[in-house]
Amino acid sequence: MPWQPILFILMAGGFFGYSGYRFALLYRLARSQKGKAPLRWDRIPERIGATIVNVLGQKAVMQKPLVGIMHAMIFWGFIVITTGTLEQFATTLFPSFELESIMGLGAYSSLVMVQDLFTAFVLLGVLFSFYRRIVLKPKHLGQSSDAFLVLTFTGGLMVSIFLMNAFHILGYQPIYTESMLMSKNVAAVLSSMNLSQETYVGLATLFKWIHMTLVMGFAAYIPTSKHLHIVAAGPNTFLKSLDRAKGMIPINFEDESVTQYGAAKITDLSWKDALDYFSCTECGRCQEVCPAWNTEKPLSPKKLILDLNHQLFDYKAAITAGKTDELPNLIDKNITNDVIWACTTCRACEIACPVFIGHTDKIYEARRNLVMMESSFPAEVQTVFKNMETNYTPWAFAASERANWSQGLDIKTMADQPAYDVLLWVGCAGSYDERNKKVMKAFVNILNKSGVKFAILGNEEQCTGDSARRIGNEYLFQTLAKANIETLNRYNVKNIVTACPHCFNTLKNEYKDFGGNYEVFHHSQFISKLIADGKVKPTQTLNAKVTYHDSCYLGRWNDVYTQPRSAIAAIPGVQMVEMKSHHDQSMCCGAGGGRMWMEEHLGRRVNVTRTEQALDTGASIIASACPFCMTMMSDGVKMKEKADKVQVLDIAELVSQSI
Amino acid sequence: MNIFVCIKQVPDTETKIKLAGDGIDTAGVKWIMSPYDEFAVEEALRLKEKNAGSTVTVLSAGPARVVETLRTALAMGADNGVHIELPENTDNNYAAKALAGALKKEAKIDIVFFGKEAIDDGAAQTAQLVSAYLDIPCVTVVLQAEYSTDKVKCKREVEGGAYEMVESPLPAVIAAQKGMNEPRYASLPNIMKAKKKEVKVLKEADVGTSASDHKIKFKNFQLPPPKQAGKKVDGDAAAQAHQLVQLLHTEAKVI
Amino acid sequence: MAKVLIVAEHRDGKLKKVSFELLGLAAQAGQEVHALLLGEGVAGLASELGHYGAGKVHVVESAALKFYSAEAYSKAVVQIAKNLGAEVILAGHTPTGREFMPLVAARLGVGLASDCTQISLAGGKIQARRPVYSGKATAEVEFLGGGAQLATVRANAIGIPKPDTSKKAEVVTASADLGALKTKVLEMVKGAMGRPDVTEASIVVSGGRAMKSAENFKIIEEMADSLGAAVGASRAAVDAGYRPHRDQVGQTGKTVSPALYIACGISGAIQHLAGMRTSKTIVAINTDPQAPIFQVADYGVVGDLFTLVPLLTQEFKKLKEH
Repeated sequence: MPWQPILFILMAGGFFGYSGYRFALLYRLARSQKGKAPLRWDRIPERIGATIVNVLGQKAVMQKPLVGIMHAMIFWGFIVITTGTLEQFATTLFPSFELESIMGLGAYSSLVMVQDLFTAFVLLGVLFSFYRRIVLKPKHLGQSSDAFLVLTFTGGLMVSIFLMNAFHILGYQPIYTESMLMSKNVAAVLSSMNLSQETYVGLATLFKWIHMTLVMGFAAYIPTSKHLHIVAAGPNTFLKSLDRAKGMIPINFEDESVTQYGAAKITDLSWKDALDYFSCTECGRCQEVCPAWNTEKPLSPKKLILDLNHQLFDYKAAITAGKTDELPNLIDKNITNDVIWACTTCRACEIACPVFIGHTDKIYEARRNLVMMESSFPAEVQTVFKNMETNYTPWAFAASERANWSQGLDIKTMADQPAYDVLLWVGCAGSYDERNKKVMKAFVNILNKSGVKFAILGNEEQCTGDSARRIGNEYLFQTLAKANIETLNRYNVKNIVTACPHCFNTLKNEYKDFGGNYEVFHHSQFISKLIADGKVKPTQTLNAKVTYHDSCYLGRWNDVYTQPRSAIAAIPGVQMVEMKSHHDQSMCCGAGGGRMWMEEHLGRRVNVTRTEQALDTGASIIASACPFCMTMMSDGVKMKEKADKVQVLDIAELVSQSI
Repeated sequence: MNIFVCIKQVPDTETKIKLAGDGIDTAGVKWIMSPYDEFAVEEALRLKEKNAGSTVTVLSAGPARVVETLRTALAMGADNGVHIELPENTDNNYAAKALAGALKKEAKIDIVFFGKEAIDDGAAQTAQLVSAYLDIPCVTVVLQAEYSTDKVKCKREVEGGAYEMVESPLPAVIAAQKGMNEPRYASLPNIMKAKKKEVKVLKEADVGTSASDHKIKFKNFQLPPPKQAGKKVDGDAAAQAHQLVQLLHTEAKVI
Repeated sequence: MAKVLIVAEHRDGKLKKVSFELLGLAAQAGQEVHALLLGEGVAGLASELGHYGAGKVHVVESAALKFYSAEAYSKAVVQIAKNLGAEVILAGHTPTGREFMPLVAARLGVGLASDCTQISLAGGKIQARRPVYSGKATAEVEFLGGGAQLATVRANAIGIPKPDTSKKAEVVTASADLGALKTKVLEMVKGAMGRPDVTEASIVVSGGRAMKSAENFKIIEEMADSLGAAVGASRAAVDAGYRPHRDQVGQTGKTVSPALYIACGISGAIQHLAGMRTSKTIVAINTDPQAPIFQVADYGVVGDLFTLVPLLTQEFKKLKEH
C-alpha cells in the first residue's frame, strides 16, 4: 500500500522535526551558559567503563534495589523493543522489508521471544510504577503529571505492541508464533472475537500505526519532559566526576577579563550544569537524604535543580537572544538565600543521584557571587572572614598563639629543621579549641609510642581555608592556600597527617591546583596502619558499645570508611554498632559547608537529629574523626541531656587510652 | 556632599603586646583599621549612597604602612585616599593638626567622620581636636544620625543606656560609636579596584605641622602582672561563696 | 600650690562621684582647689563640692547650660580657666568629660592625658598613667611644652574621699560669654533598661545551658543587680530560648571585656571564649571540673550554680553594705 511510506514520512517529518527543534533549543540554552565547566574529557577508558556499568548495568539506580529492578526492566525493555520499533519503521517505509528473511527463522524467533518477554516486563514495571505513585506515594517522589503522562505513554506503547502482535498472529499465523510467549496468549483471548482474517490483518496494521504514532509523539514530548533523561543521562554519566574527591573549580583572579565571580544569573552557570538539569529524572532520592530538607529547611536538592531548569526555560527568549543583562537574579522567590545557605555540602544528594548530577556545584557558584560580588552572607560570617584575614584562623585568637597547645610536649617545628617522617598538620581546632587540643595530645601520644617522628609548622601554619572556600570566599581561600603552599614547599614537605577531615580534603585534593602536591593521610588512616603494622598495640580493654559517626568530608568526599572502624575495632572489649544511616548513607552532623560558623534558625537542628540516631543505637560512646563533628555531636548529646550517660570521643582518644 | 573620614591604623586586637624601647615591639604585628573607624567609613558610604554626586575621601596620618588601611577603606567603596606621611609615634594633637591641615586644603567639607576612639591608645581626643582646628562643631559617641543638606541630628550615647538627641549644623565632625551601622564586607571587584586607586601623599610641610604641635608623650610602658593560673575555690557551697567574694574584693579588687 | 580647676559633673540634680574623687585628689595633694559648676539652677550643689575639698566653687549659670553640650561647656571652661590662670584642669573620663576636654586642650594649645587610671598631683604637676592597647599595657604620660596640664580620669580609679561636712567652700558667681551656640540639645532620653549594656558594663554575669529555663535566669538577674552588672548568656542558652539574642556573648554574639566576668553553668566552648576571653577577671561556676572554662578562669568554683548563685548574691549584698 503506497500511502503508508508517504504518510510515515510526513508524520515522521512533523513529529521528529518538532522534536529536533526542541532539542536544538536545549542545545542553544546550554551553549548560552557562560560559566566554566569542569574538564572531564580525561581518562576516557574509565569513563566508558563507568557509563557501561551505570547506564547499561543500572548500578546507580540499583542503590534502591526494588525500584532499581523495576527501572532496569523498563530501561532494558526499551532498548530491546526499539529493535522492534525500528523494524516497524523499516517495514512501513519499505513494504518488502522482511527482517525474518534477513536474520533467518531461528534467530528471528529468538528475537521476537525476547522482545515479547521484555514488553511484558516493561508493562509490569509501568504497573508497579503506577502503584508506587498512586498507592505507596513516597514523599520524595512528589506528584507529577509529567510522570503520569510518561507512564501512560509507555503503558500505551506496550499495550499497542501486544495488540499489534496478537492481531498479527491472528491475521497471518506466522511460524514464529510459539516464540511470542505473551502475545500468543493475548491472541488466544482475542480470537473469541471471531472476526475475519482481513479484519485481523487490518487491526494489526492499525495497532502498528498506533504504536508508531505513540513513539513519534513520545519523541516530540521528550524534550519538554523529565523523560529527557533518556537522552541526557548517558552523556551526563560519561562526564561525571570520576573520583569521590571532587574539588571546586578555582577562579583565576589574575585574569582581568573576568568581572563576574560566581553565578548571579542562571547563565553564569555552565553547560554542564544545564546538562545536569536535563538529566534530572525528578526521582527525589537527593531530597530523601538531604539533611537540610529532612530538618525542615527550605533546601531540597531536587527542587533546586528543577527551579534552575525552570529559570533557563522561563527566560529562554532573553537567553537565546544573548540579552543576559536583562535576566533577573538567580536568587528569586524559589531559590532563596535560605535555600543557598542551608546546604552543608555533605554530598549525600550527589551520591544518591542515579544520573550523577552535581547539586553542590550550583550552590557553590551561587555562594561565590553572593559573597564576593554582593557581600551578602549571614552576618556572623563576617567575623570569621576577618579573623581568617588577620589571624589565619576562623576563631578570634592570635596567630602568634597557634602553637601554644604544644607547650611542654617537646614537639619540634619545621623551623628547627628536625629529622621527621611526617608533618602533623594541626589545624585551627587542634590549635585553639580546648576540647580539640585534647584530641591532638592523644594523637601525639600515639605517634610518640609508635616511634614515628613528626614535626609541626607551628605559628607558620595558617588555616587551610576550607570554610572560606565552602562559604564562597574563593579569594580569601586562595590567599590562605597560597601562603600555606609556599611554606610547605619551602620546607619540601612530602607527607602530611591531619586529624581534621576538612584540612585533609583541602590539602589532599584542592591544594594541587595551586602547586601543592602532597601525600596526605587522615589520622584514622594513619592510626589504622600503625595498628596493622604492629607499631602500636591497643591492650587496655574498653568494655563499651561504640558507634562511629562517619564524617562527610572523610566518608562521602574521600571514600574513607573502613580504616576509622578498624582502628576502633582493634581496641579490646569494644562492641561496634552502626547507626541507622552509616557509610555513604551517613547523616551529616550539620557543620559542613561553613555552617559551623552560622546560626541555625530554621527547622529542627541537624546535629540533634543525628545525635538521636546515635543515641538510638544504645551506644555509650560516640566516636568521631572530625573536630566539627565532635562539637556538633557533643552539643547534641548535651541538648538531649545525655551527657552523663554518653561520651563523644575522637578515635585518637579511644586508641590512645588503650595503648 | 563632600564627605570625609579620618581613619587610624592600629595593631589587631588579638596581638600579643611585647614592650620594646619607648613603646611596643612592632615586629610581627598585624595592622588593621581601628574597629570604630569601620563604623565611620560605613556611615560615610551610606550617606554617599543617599546623596547622588557625593564623594567619600578617607584620610590617615602615619608612616608608610597606613596606606594599606587606606586601601581597605577604598575597597569598602571610598572614592579617594589621602595619606599624610608622619613619623612613628606622633601624639594625638600632632596627628589632629596634620589631619586638619589636610582637610583645610579641600574645597568644601560637608561632614567629617571619625571612630569615637582608636583601640591602640583609646585616647578619644583626635575627633574633637580636629573639630577645634577646623572650627566646626563635633558630636561624639554617636549611635545614629539623620542627615539633611545643612544639618545633622545625632543620637549620642551617655551612660546607663540613656542618650541625648543633639542637632548640629553642617559642616560638623561626627565620632561613631559601635553599633551605629553594620560595616560592609568589601566586595571583590571593589578590592581589585582599590588596588589601583591613587592615594594622594602629603608631607608634614604640606599640612603645616611643627614640632610644638607635640603636646604629650607616652613613656615607661608597663605590662600588667602575668595572669596567675586559675585558683580553685574549695569547700562547701557557703564557704565557696564567701571565699570567692573575699578574693574578688581583696585580691582581684574588682568589686 | 598650683591652681587646680576641676570641672564638676552633675546629672538630674546630683553630682557625679568622679567629681568627688578629683576634688579629694587635689585637696590631698595640697593644691589650690577650684571647682567649676556649669548649668542652670545648680548653685545648690556647690556646698557639697566644698565637703569633698573644693576651696572655691565657680558657678556659671545660663539657660544655654541647662543641658550639657560640648560647645557650651568647652567655651565656658576655657574662659574660666584663662581668667583663673588654672595650671591643672581635671574632669572625669565620662561621656561628657571625654568629649569636651580635648576641645579645651586645643583652644588652650596644651596637651590632655585622657582616661587616666593612676594620677597624682605632687608638686602641682600631673603624673599620670593610663591603659593602652585595650588595657594590655599601661603608659606614663609626659606633658611637652609649657602651659596648663589637662587630664580626664576614669571613674573609680582614685576612690572617693570621706566628705567633711564642716568644710565650706567659697562660692562665686562667674560668667562666661558663650556666644551664639551652633549645636542644640533637643532632648534627653532615659535608658530603657535599668541594667547596663553587656558590651559596656564593667561586670557581666552570664548563664549557660545549665540554667535549664528562662525563669531560672532570675537568680542570675538578682546576682547581676547586686553588682550593678549586665546579664549575658551563652549561645546554648539563647538557642534554647532562655535569653534574647542581644544578650548572647560569643563569636556570633557580642564580644565583651569587662573587669569581671562570672560564667554560671557555661562549659566554655571555643565560640563563647572568643567573646569573653579578654575579661580582666574570670570566675567560672560549673559542676564539671573538666569543663574548658576552667582553663581560662582566674577563680574556678566546682559546684551547683543553683546553690552557689543565690549564696553569692547574698555575699555581694553584704559587701556593698560595708
